[in-house]
Amino acid sequence: MRTNLYREFYKFSHKKVTWFAPLLVLFLMVAFGFATGKDQPQLLAMTCYGSSEGILLTLIIVVSSIFSMEFQNHAILTVLYKSPSKHYVYLAKLIVALGYNLILHLGAILLTFVLTLTGIAKPISWLAVYQYHQPLIINMLTTSSVDFITATLLISIIFLTSCLINSNAVVVTLNMVIIFVGNDISYNFLLQNAHLADFARWNPFNMLDLTKQYYNQAMIQATSLTTFQLIIGASTYVLAFLMTGYLVFRKKRF
Amino acid sequence: MLQVNHINTFIGRKKIVKDVSFRVNPGSIVGLIGPNGAGKTTIMKTILGLTKFTGKISVENKSVTENDHGALTRVGALIEHPAIYPFLTGLENLKLYSLDEADMNHVVSLLGMTSYINNKSKDYSMGMKQKLGIAIALLNKPQLVILDEPMNGLDIEATILIRKIIKQYAAQGSAFLISSHVLGELQKVMTNVLLITEGKIIVDQPIDEFNRVSHQQFRLLTEDMPATEKLFRDNRIPITKTDNYLLIARDQSYPVQDILYSHHIRLLELSPQGLNFEQTIVSLLEQQRRQNHEK
Repeated sequence: MRTNLYREFYKFSHKKVTWFAPLLVLFLMVAFGFATGKDQPQLLAMTCYGSSEGILLTLIIVVSSIFSMEFQNHAILTVLYKSPSKHYVYLAKLIVALGYNLILHLGAILLTFVLTLTGIAKPISWLAVYQYHQPLIINMLTTSSVDFITATLLISIIFLTSCLINSNAVVVTLNMVIIFVGNDISYNFLLQNAHLADFARWNPFNMLDLTKQYYNQAMIQATSLTTFQLIIGASTYVLAFLMTGYLVFRKKRF
Repeated sequence: MLQVNHINTFIGRKKIVKDVSFRVNPGSIVGLIGPNGAGKTTIMKTILGLTKFTGKISVENKSVTENDHGALTRVGALIEHPAIYPFLTGLENLKLYSLDEADMNHVVSLLGMTSYINNKSKDYSMGMKQKLGIAIALLNKPQLVILDEPMNGLDIEATILIRKIIKQYAAQGSAFLISSHVLGELQKVMTNVLLITEGKIIVDQPIDEFNRVSHQQFRLLTEDMPATEKLFRDNRIPITKTDNYLLIARDQSYPVQDILYSHHIRLLELSPQGLNFEQTIVSLLEQQRRQNHEK
């Protein structure tokens, strides 16, 4: 497993997109700062300057290439026979993706501290009580943790779609559609099919609103689930998608 | 070294490899030959545990299965295309799989790649990529090397070099299983022939024995070749057409004389004929196709 991890980290760290895509997060954070920093500085700090969208976009761009680079470069056969088993390959790629997710969130937290010092937004006190009767810094760390779960849900969807589809462009487009349109589809479906809500509110698109609902509790009107239920639902879907992805990967003919 | 026992490989419901068994001994260079779609690449993939199969495959007495590649730690392979990441340099591509830096540098210098090994591999020519793919297969002093069309895209100098390296590694005990459509090249290095068609092995012989047996054919010329050809086909006598002659197996030389005599066709020439390697392969494949057709 160590060898597999070394190979995956080596490839991942040598790709330019791994290093350049996070600039998108920085750009969006600064843009959010200028847009809302004067009116809602505390919400801005709690959401790490709205880093969630940027992180999801970055993950789609970078993580979708973890599998597709093997297909595009005809390397999958070598990767597979050089590994003790197929699940080592899948697991090593997953660990790299989760590690990247963690680094992006830690980076966003760090950047938030830096950006609060730049004067883009109004000054704030990290220890002042804000939402959930907690200090703002706790709000911010919890929002980041919740967003880590949302991002992990997206990673599991990317893994599943990457195992089903060899083309990187199709995987990227499909996942863009899922994160930008998925929750709207879910919301409209729930609105027009109220009699199915008890069942349909557990659809995976709904879970993508987890982070938004954590910092904006009014979102419960759209999701029809509590934040805790969203966490349980998202975690369950993560496991289901990752396991399905693995089964597809295991059965796939290369 | 490599032992393949009664393997069957399926793609969907179609059986691609049918009850194939063979051995590859240390130091031997086995040429896996067959027409397109015969199952050569599938056999290679199966040995590498990349397809579902029934039967038994073992490398150094350790079993290989689709989900356990533990026996393949000292197996190198180049299947279909060189596995190269364009965003890495040649050396970085090698580092991904190398367990011994000194050995890696030795392989680089052996293949004459030193001058460009630190360049990004996206800038490599087809031949350079192919050499890098072969270099990956030769890393870590492999006990078994599986090469699928290794001469693809190589110029004449590189082809000669690869031939020399294969012989050198085999002399040190590495076993090779090589498939190639360039039969002339393969003939220059291989010690054993594995001929496959429609998923079945039809020849598994040392090359010397194969050459000896394959020369046992007769060249035949009559005064009416079209009638002779029709006559032989009607009598189910295996023949191979060359420019002006028909080739028949040695054991058919007496029956054909009787047939020609009974049909009043005058025999002008019947002489022993040495087929070259390619002609022998084509002739054997044609015979097998005819037999399958008759069944």
